[in-house]
Amino acid sequence: MQVRSTPSRWGAVTRLFHWGMLLLIGAIIPVGIYMTDLPLGPAKLRVYALHKSIGLTLLGLAALRLLWRLGERRPALPPMPAWQGRAAAATHVLLYVLMFVIPLSGWLYNSAAGFPLQWFHLVNLPALAAADPGLKALAKEAHVTGVVTLIAIVALHAAAALKHHFVDHDGTLQAMLPRIGAGS
Amino acid sequence: MTTDLRRPAAPAVLALAILAATPVAAAPRYAVVPAQSSLGFSATQQGEKFTGAIRDFDARIEYAADDLRSSVLDVTIRVKSIDTKSPDRDQALVTADWFDVAKFPTATFRTVAIRATPSGPVGDADLTIKGRTKRIAFPFTWKAGAAGATLDAQVTLDRLDFGLGAGDWADESMVGRRVDVVVHLTLTPAAAPAPAAPIPPAAKSTAKPART
Repeated sequence: MQVRSTPSRWGAVTRLFHWGMLLLIGAIIPVGIYMTDLPLGPAKLRVYALHKSIGLTLLGLAALRLLWRLGERRPALPPMPAWQGRAAAATHVLLYVLMFVIPLSGWLYNSAAGFPLQWFHLVNLPALAAADPGLKALAKEAHVTGVVTLIAIVALHAAAALKHHFVDHDGTLQAMLPRIGAGS
Repeated sequence: MTTDLRRPAAPAVLALAILAATPVAAAPRYAVVPAQSSLGFSATQQGEKFTGAIRDFDARIEYAADDLRSSVLDVTIRVKSIDTKSPDRDQALVTADWFDVAKFPTATFRTVAIRATPSGPVGDADLTIKGRTKRIAFPFTWKAGAAGATLDAQVTLDRLDFGLGAGDWADESMVGRRVDVVVHLTLTPAAAPAPAAPIPPAAKSTAKPART
């Protein structure tokens, strides 16, 4: 198993970040939509606590992933029109930005609402700001807009990967997929 | 009332007995200086401490260190005025699971006796929250000054004693049971009795001749 990326393929660490975070994001968004309509009660707080814990996990993973990425040589892009290369780069930058903006705006929203923040009942994290209704509304807006943008960008990213695979028949998607069959 | 066997059971008889025994006026009255007073508590939610301030309360304070028998601390708070610096939490606190403000808009604290102890005065008080009364010990510090006095106290309560957050909310990992109440009152001598404080009718009628 190749830990670091090679010119033709993403390394195991990057692939783990990529698919692991996708899995967590795929779980946290439905939880976030579901929890807001729950009747006020301890069950609601528990679901919120889970959402916040996963969100903080994603924030930590985003930081580690960015550090890892900065130290990595990424696989070469297959031949493609220049605008596609630029679009891919812009998409990736935006995805990284959203990986930070969404959990941080959620944290800010929680702080501005005056609520505690705990990571899986283990660690309490400080408030980013004092309770403030105006800031709360602003942070919520950023959180929701960030998620909607993320869904759109991820859809575009996935569509591009599938186009590379099924239309261009290049190795873009395979570079990120676990190798099926004999590992190397 | 019936727990103290040394005293008559009926409050009216008790009031008359005190009146007869002490023909001089009762302990001096004090008025709260709201800007320099605070009534609040701290508790924990999801492992984190938060504080709440009670913005709206009335206090009838009659106190003399050398006349504890006629001293009384009587506080009525408007539960709706609790401010925990989180509108979401404040909205939860007024619901039936917590303070049930619609049914129990006020909470009261009334000393039935004040004792002198080596560490200072201790009030035996009936604390009524959400319609449930519990007799608590209320040690406090009274400091007389040139302009009046200050009263400081801290007592620890168990929220479940008053049915606050019973049932599903009883889980301590979400909201701790322990609540620390912190009282700091700045008091000035009151010329006239505080009119807003709810006074039992018997006490009201007996108080009038005592003031002449």
